Amino acid sequence: MKILRNAILQAVAIVAVSVAVGFAFNSFSRNGINPFRAPAKVPVLADSTRAGAEGIRIIDLEEARRVVESGLSVIDARRKDEFDEGHIPGAMLFDYYDMGTYRDRVLPLLSNEGEIMVYCSEATCEDSELLAKELYLLGFTKLLVFKGGFAEWSDAGLPVEKGDL
Amino acid sequence: MKMTWSQSPRQPEGNRNGIHWIFNPYLLLAFRLLLAAVFIYAAAQKIGKPLAFADEIHNYGVVDYGPPLYVMAVVLPWIELLCGFALVTGVVVRGAALILIGLNAMFLAVIAKKTAGYLSDGTPFTQIFFDCGCGFGATYAWKKLLEDAAYLLMSLALLAAPRHRFVVSIKRRSL
Repeated sequence: MKILRNAILQAVAIVAVSVAVGFAFNSFSRNGINPFRAPAKVPVLADSTRAGAEGIRIIDLEEARRVVESGLSVIDARRKDEFDEGHIPGAMLFDYYDMGTYRDRVLPLLSNEGEIMVYCSEATCEDSELLAKELYLLGFTKLLVFKGGFAEWSDAGLPVEKGDL
Repeated sequence: MKMTWSQSPRQPEGNRNGIHWIFNPYLLLAFRLLLAAVFIYAAAQKIGKPLAFADEIHNYGVVDYGPPLYVMAVVLPWIELLCGFALVTGVVVRGAALILIGLNAMFLAVIAKKTAGYLSDGTPFTQIFFDCGCGFGATYAWKKLLEDAAYLLMSLALLAAPRHRFVVSIKRRSL
């Protein structure tokens, strides 16, 4: 019983130190987050006719092509190595999991007036939607998520750019 | 003060028979080093990537996005790291063992839940393959369940061991 009591006290001490160090590290880390923020409540617009509306709208390949041709901002939410292998022409890399690096690099290039298209690797990936929610919270409120992602784009034989920008 | 590696007094012979083979000091040391390597490596894959880790936890469908999930994503890797260091040094080793019992029991439960989901979709048990978000990439569910069960048993042995040898002890220098 004494062993268990000591173990519980030690465990509490380890957890307390972990909480302190974890929060301190998080506050200084480039990829740190606000752990107490409320979950992002972002309107998801399923109606494809509501062009220009505030919120996140899921778009198909045809509309993604029109967006790229019209010169709107396009963001690739994948990793750098995937981006370098091939991406939608004109897309800017913004690795969702490396917020600290890409926030400073990409956000100044975006306009919060126009629509921004975000995509990731394929229809099953969620990073484009997660990044779109982050961008919404940062003030970029007109967001288009190309759900088919790079896989659908390249499978359709549409032009692909390679290498770093 | 100086830190030295010390060995606690040997156990009485009677305790070293029967089921107490599991408390062999060299075996306990092997358990500590193995668990420490696993958890320090796992922590290193997650520290500094709270958004990615939060998504991995969320994929289990147990905790929704919000402060509890984000706090777990910020703190859990550090608990794993400190437990790893505690096991290597032998300082607060029982506390670390108790935490690892809890963590491994939780991992087993959520991996079993996810595996059950695949089974209900008709995937054969031996073919269930996914990334558990543990920091080691995708693997077969049966393998991960076995691994975590082994880690749980090792942690139980570390908690219940009458003594631990090969621990760092802090001694005061005599003036």
